[in-house]
Amino acid sequence: MEAIWLYQFRLIVIGDSTVGKSCLIRRFTEGRFAQISDPTVGVDFFSRLVEIEPGKRIKLQIWDTAGQERFRSITRAYYRNSVGGLLLFDITNRRSFQNVHEWLEETKVHVQPYQIVFVLVGHKCDLDTQRQVTRHEAEKLAAAYGMKYIETSARDAINVEKAFTDLTRDIYELVKRGEISIQEGWEGVKSGFVPNVVHSSEEVVKSDRRCLC
Amino acid sequence: MAAESGRQFWKRSAKLPGSIQPVYGAQHPPLDPRLTKNFIKDRSKANVLPVKSKKASSFHEFARNTSDAWDIGDDEDEDFTSSSSSLQTLNSKVAKAAAAQVLENHSKLRVKPERAQPALSDMPTNCKVNKSSSEAQLSRMSEETCVRTPLQKQQSLPLRPVIPLVARISDQNASGAPPMTVREKTRLEKFRQLLSSHNTDLDELRKCSWPGVPREVRPVTWRLLSGYLPANMERRKLTLQRKREEYFGFIQQYYDSRNEEHHQDTYRQIHIDIPRTNPLIPLFQQPLVQEIFERILFIWAIRHPASGYVQGINDLVTPFFVVFLSEYVEEDVENFDVTNLSQDVLRSIEADSFWCMSKLLDGIQDNYTFAQPGIQKKVKALEELVSRIDEQVHNHFRKYEVEYLQFAFRWMNNLLMRELPLRCTIRLWDTYQSEPEGFSHFHLYVCAAFLIKWRKEILDEEDFQGLLMLLQNLPTIHWGNEEIGLLLAEAYRLNCSLIQVPDENALSVTGWRIPWGCRARSFSGPSFIPRALWVQEGAARTCPLLSLLFAFLQV
Repeated sequence: MEAIWLYQFRLIVIGDSTVGKSCLIRRFTEGRFAQISDPTVGVDFFSRLVEIEPGKRIKLQIWDTAGQERFRSITRAYYRNSVGGLLLFDITNRRSFQNVHEWLEETKVHVQPYQIVFVLVGHKCDLDTQRQVTRHEAEKLAAAYGMKYIETSARDAINVEKAFTDLTRDIYELVKRGEISIQEGWEGVKSGFVPNVVHSSEEVVKSDRRCLC
Repeated sequence: MAAESGRQFWKRSAKLPGSIQPVYGAQHPPLDPRLTKNFIKDRSKANVLPVKSKKASSFHEFARNTSDAWDIGDDEDEDFTSSSSSLQTLNSKVAKAAAAQVLENHSKLRVKPERAQPALSDMPTNCKVNKSSSEAQLSRMSEETCVRTPLQKQQSLPLRPVIPLVARISDQNASGAPPMTVREKTRLEKFRQLLSSHNTDLDELRKCSWPGVPREVRPVTWRLLSGYLPANMERRKLTLQRKREEYFGFIQQYYDSRNEEHHQDTYRQIHIDIPRTNPLIPLFQQPLVQEIFERILFIWAIRHPASGYVQGINDLVTPFFVVFLSEYVEEDVENFDVTNLSQDVLRSIEADSFWCMSKLLDGIQDNYTFAQPGIQKKVKALEELVSRIDEQVHNHFRKYEVEYLQFAFRWMNNLLMRELPLRCTIRLWDTYQSEPEGFSHFHLYVCAAFLIKWRKEILDEEDFQGLLMLLQNLPTIHWGNEEIGLLLAEAYRLNCSLIQVPDENALSVTGWRIPWGCRARSFSGPSFIPRALWVQEGAARTCPLLSLLFAFLQV
């Protein structure tokens, strides 16, 4: 029935309208690419297991959010219970890159008292000829905020796995080191079912989590 | 399986308090007992039945009437006309028969003989059982090779073929469908009569439209129901002309401003959403259609700055556009090439869609204003409603930490359009437009009924993930008029029975209004039944015996 997993992480995917949030998630969770799909309203839910090391599986619960401003009042309620996030912009849309800062500000306000581990994602990298944001400036911005940067394409399935698993691995390391801890009433990280293995050292460590963004 | 289908049946058809009484909970109740009786009892005796005998109409009749004539009418008519016990139930004096009929129909529904259908099929064939005549068209060939058993009927749901969204937008009541039954013809005749009278009786029109509007008269009926077209025949032509000119005046005045700075964001959002609207239907991929949608949405948005354009509103143009287009299209609307139409016709469709959509949005604008208070309120009301009518489902959500906002936000924001095939939305809107506050107030009850419809599937899921995935992807792809009819019947029942819930505070907290058709009605149950029990339709639903008791007592 239930696949065995070590932890469950909740991730949130944010960014401007039409940067390709839903497509990226669908590629990751369903392995397919839809040329056109309805705009997301409110929040959609997805899920997948990832294996970060042989035998070590993490269950990801992914919230796909609507990009349009009007839905913020709904979507911001999901920041609080997320441990990780993918902040997307479209490399062919300069404006969506310029808004990255706003998105981070937005989350910072609403994630309190928790923090989210973000990765900056330059999406639609298959459309390199229409590029409006260079890799260099995106990397610079990501570094300034203490994030990793990765370029992906849902259409050509470039780096989609990597974007999610790298983020998952980073969060896992932080959990293992006790920098992120499982807390009552917080959905960001949950402990899973592991037969015959005790992870006492990794669990319920009361310590402050450091902001990585 | 058998037990489950039995329970489902009781849920839908058991005679319950708050179902049918001379005073209705909705403004335009789906049941006109005179019509029912004429059709069912004796078609030749139209208009001679005494109105007096109306009172005892059973919930079953009511439920049947809320379903479309086109879908289940034929089969059931035969069932009833050939059944003496069914005839008996129509005689209000025979109290017992009400219960007997429920039982008998229950068994009949499960072994119902299918009518012979003319051979015609353009869909993949699969061994399955019809639930509606529109589906019948899709599976006729398969029927000939299938042996029907009651067992199959029960198992039919999972065996249904996946019907693409586009397959049946227009097939309900469409030309090319099997010849009309007497019942359909009479209904259509009634509509034509109403529509062509000097002053259309809007109350009567709403009443007739509640159980579904025939495709042939849907465009004009919708224009009337939305309040766009005047009831007075003489004023119609002029009004249409004036309103259409007014709309194109707006276009002239404002549309160029779409690239100006203060409207740029609005237009950009619309512009990127339109190609993503109804992505599976070829009609909406045509540039001409997309331009029409852009104009309608942009003009509406800048004329309503409090909300502006919000994703989801784009979906709401679709039903109007399709219905008004269908006036000029004989074949499948979804594949129609609009360049075949004259510019004048297209302009009329565009303007009419704009005005009717505007009327709709007037009633739900707080869904789209800042922080979307209308939706927040309705989702909260839905939660409260479900906690009353189905505690088990409600507790199940709580147990697995599912929040109503997580799945029902979209139900409110897009009026269930993302959850239902377009053909079903169109049918649903026949009723919404017949209700005084169909798109706001009544929609809430439809959502509750819709949720409870999946109670078995919900209770089968035993974790958060499974529940969310289910609720986001409810399998309605095969749905047609019959399912919508049942959904509406259930919503109607809930709407009516809620009035008897005594907790006034709870009602005011969530902003529920008492359905005005219900207001005059006082508690009419027998005094020896505790009021609390009487309003516990949940108990009746899960306990057939209790339903029977109610059935006896109420007649």
